[in-house]
Amino acid sequence: MNKMQKAMRELAEMDELAARTSPIHALHPAAKLIAAIAYILVTLSFGKYDLSGLVPMVLWPILLFQISGTEVRTCFYKLRIVLPLVMAVGLFNPIFDRSAAAQLGGVVISGGVISMLTLMLKGLFCLMASFLLMATTPIDLLCAALRQLHVPKMLVTLLLLTYRYVGVMTEELAVMTEAYLLRAPGQKGIHISAWGSFLGQLLLRSMDRAQELYSSMLLRGYHQHFHYAGIRPFRARDALYLLGCILFFLLLRRVNIAQMLGGTLVG
Amino acid sequence: MHMADALLAPAVAATMYAASGVTAGISIHKLKKDDEPQKLPVMAVTAALVFAGQMINYTIPGTGSSGHMCGGMLLSALLGPQAGFLSMIVILAIQCLFFADGGLLALGANVWNMAFYGCFVGYYLIWRPIMRSRWFGEGRSAQRARIIAAAIIGCIATLQLGAFSVVLETSLSGIAELPFGAFVALMQPIHLAIGLVEGLITAAVLVFVFEFRPELLQGVERAEGENSKRSLKTVVAILAVVALVVGGGLSLLASSNPDGLEWALFGNAEEGYAENMGLDEEDFGVSSKAADTAGAIQEKTSFLPDYAFSGSDSAAGTTVSGIVGAAMVAGVAILICLAGGFFRKKKKTD
Amino acid sequence: MIEFQHVSFAYEKNLPVLKDLSFRIEKGEAVGLIGANGAGKSTVMKLLLGLLSGEGKILVDGTEVRRETLGEIRRKLGFVLQNSDNQMFMPTVYEDMIFAPLNYMLSREEAEARVDAVLARLHLEELKHRYNHKISGGEKRMAAIATVLAMEPEAILMDEPTSALDPYNRRIVINTIRELEQTKLITSHDLDMILDTCDRVILLSDGQIAADGAAQELLRDRALLEKHRMELPLSLMGRDSSRFNERD
Repeated sequence: MNKMQKAMRELAEMDELAARTSPIHALHPAAKLIAAIAYILVTLSFGKYDLSGLVPMVLWPILLFQISGTEVRTCFYKLRIVLPLVMAVGLFNPIFDRSAAAQLGGVVISGGVISMLTLMLKGLFCLMASFLLMATTPIDLLCAALRQLHVPKMLVTLLLLTYRYVGVMTEELAVMTEAYLLRAPGQKGIHISAWGSFLGQLLLRSMDRAQELYSSMLLRGYHQHFHYAGIRPFRARDALYLLGCILFFLLLRRVNIAQMLGGTLVG
Repeated sequence: MHMADALLAPAVAATMYAASGVTAGISIHKLKKDDEPQKLPVMAVTAALVFAGQMINYTIPGTGSSGHMCGGMLLSALLGPQAGFLSMIVILAIQCLFFADGGLLALGANVWNMAFYGCFVGYYLIWRPIMRSRWFGEGRSAQRARIIAAAIIGCIATLQLGAFSVVLETSLSGIAELPFGAFVALMQPIHLAIGLVEGLITAAVLVFVFEFRPELLQGVERAEGENSKRSLKTVVAILAVVALVVGGGLSLLASSNPDGLEWALFGNAEEGYAENMGLDEEDFGVSSKAADTAGAIQEKTSFLPDYAFSGSDSAAGTTVSGIVGAAMVAGVAILICLAGGFFRKKKKTD
Repeated sequence: MIEFQHVSFAYEKNLPVLKDLSFRIEKGEAVGLIGANGAGKSTVMKLLLGLLSGEGKILVDGTEVRRETLGEIRRKLGFVLQNSDNQMFMPTVYEDMIFAPLNYMLSREEAEARVDAVLARLHLEELKHRYNHKISGGEKRMAAIATVLAMEPEAILMDEPTSALDPYNRRIVINTIRELEQTKLITSHDLDMILDTCDRVILLSDGQIAADGAAQELLRDRALLEKHRMELPLSLMGRDSSRFNERD
């Protein structure tokens, strides 16, 4: 399976997750978006050594996973993109920061290790937050919410249309790639002699497609005003959810729950 | 080069969002003025194509490895800088939302690092001046050579700028212990090689388009007479000045701070680090009333103390009870998962 | 309802595509537009829809097709494209179907009611919230027809509606077309489908009308069809399979 087919599979998985029903799926997309952004902001605001303070932040995504019925493994599959990046930077921390930070039964843990772990957790938590957003919100509803939040129309419409054709283009390129590789045994990618024509051909054909697409829009009455079908009113329960989430995050930020709990045990 | 959320501090992320947002706003305004409604479907289809095209494996002859295409230069050569910029935003948004390639809060920074340089710097400072000049002479083969040169130089330059920005943003966010100098020394050469390959691939595609549908390429109208010479000279001059400033500034930083931004990373909370970076960018290095107030507010509202840098706490703050408590929280999380699974099973048997 | 009066068109100066074309389609007629590749069928459609403009006059319900009247004309004509991917450009079927009604300034409730009515009539309710890039070719074609019907057009134009469909989906499309009461103009190479759905056939050849008559008669005229680079519909060919080896 080539890269493009895998990408299409991933897109299809996200679509399928977003199409399910649950109390979370039913929430207003703008509420979910703002909650996710707030979560990420608060998560990022934890100090680089504040590992114990950070850990309780995992409770929110865990709860959402359960209530929405989303599988965690799809999220963890995406970790393969986030973690290497974070590690590429974080791995240097234990090297450059050797200050003693804690002692656990005779073993001294350096500040560098703590900050590396904090960084990794931040990476994981932020990934879970944005994953949960998209796993419970279809793109059309998200775009309608972006419009309600006054993101410019041109950008949102472009996002909607581009999303629609990403599948088409990826599929075409997947087929073209397979056809190419079948005629080029032993090659793993496009040979330099075809660098220009491989994508170039599809590019030129796509221009014609774009022209037909535009005609199609005109024939259905389009004159620069895009109407978003997914716009919904913001209800009390959406506001309650958003407020509740934000308060929860701020509470976790101010109070080190882990330390409190641990204190009751350790004294 | 897609940055994850964890690599940025909220203030840096917000700043980059603002920068990208303003640029997007200006681009939208310009496109609205141009009033070409058919551009929208062209942008969407081309953006979708570039998105897919980034996954193509181009084998680099001689080596065993493969290269990929980013798309900033390609998009701006085909659509113009403003439309190209918006298309890149959308591509990056889809990558972020559906593939976790780039964080949600890092989107502003990623847009700046990959789209701004590629579309604006690449177009106005490299693509258009070269295409309008008389480099390589006259005629079709000369134009082809110009396309290749512009694509290669453009990709290399914009990728260097992008990579440098990544280092800057990460360092300003204070999450990396890696010294600034070392970080730069790692990032720049790698992206030089990547930029070269990308440039060659982009050049190949653009030359192909030029052969069959040259009218699709933007900005290739030749400037008449003196204009062309002047515009290229101006651009070269600008680039030279920029290089001097950046180079000079870099060496200053590197020499006076062997540990790279150490002065920003550790123990400056008491002095009110907000004075130097973060909240008060205009008053860089100068203390001002606004910065003092900001610093004071920061200390009081301690739930967001690390607005610009983490470093207000020291490593020794982590205690044993904290670690034990964290383990307990993890236990609670597992319990929640088990409970959730239990309830779902119950629902199924109903 | 649709009238072409001495219409000519050329993409480039010396390459005329349509030469002095004149014909008339009455309200309620189902007309098949056939001809070899390059005969000018798509050009006729595009001129009618105002996507191209040439010489001569084209009238829809008495109104001439001109820049100023395009909005009004296009409301009356629903066009089903050959490539459904270019027609269904929103992420979901629902959004595509509601696109035109909303552009015509219907309220959201009215538009939604219309969408639901069309889906019910075509028995396609389960397609409503499906993603366009995930439904099959046949489903997409039906969704495209539904999208056009949501416009409540007076005439429906179709470009190769049965191309790339398996027999099952092809039959569904054919049956659906037969039940549409609107005026129909269909271009296709699928002559059996034309036979099944159209009363009248216009045969285009080299930019001119070579024949115009009842579908049942014209499509049985082997000599006429072969003269213009076509063949009898497969269902009328009988058991004379030797003709497949003829090369002239």
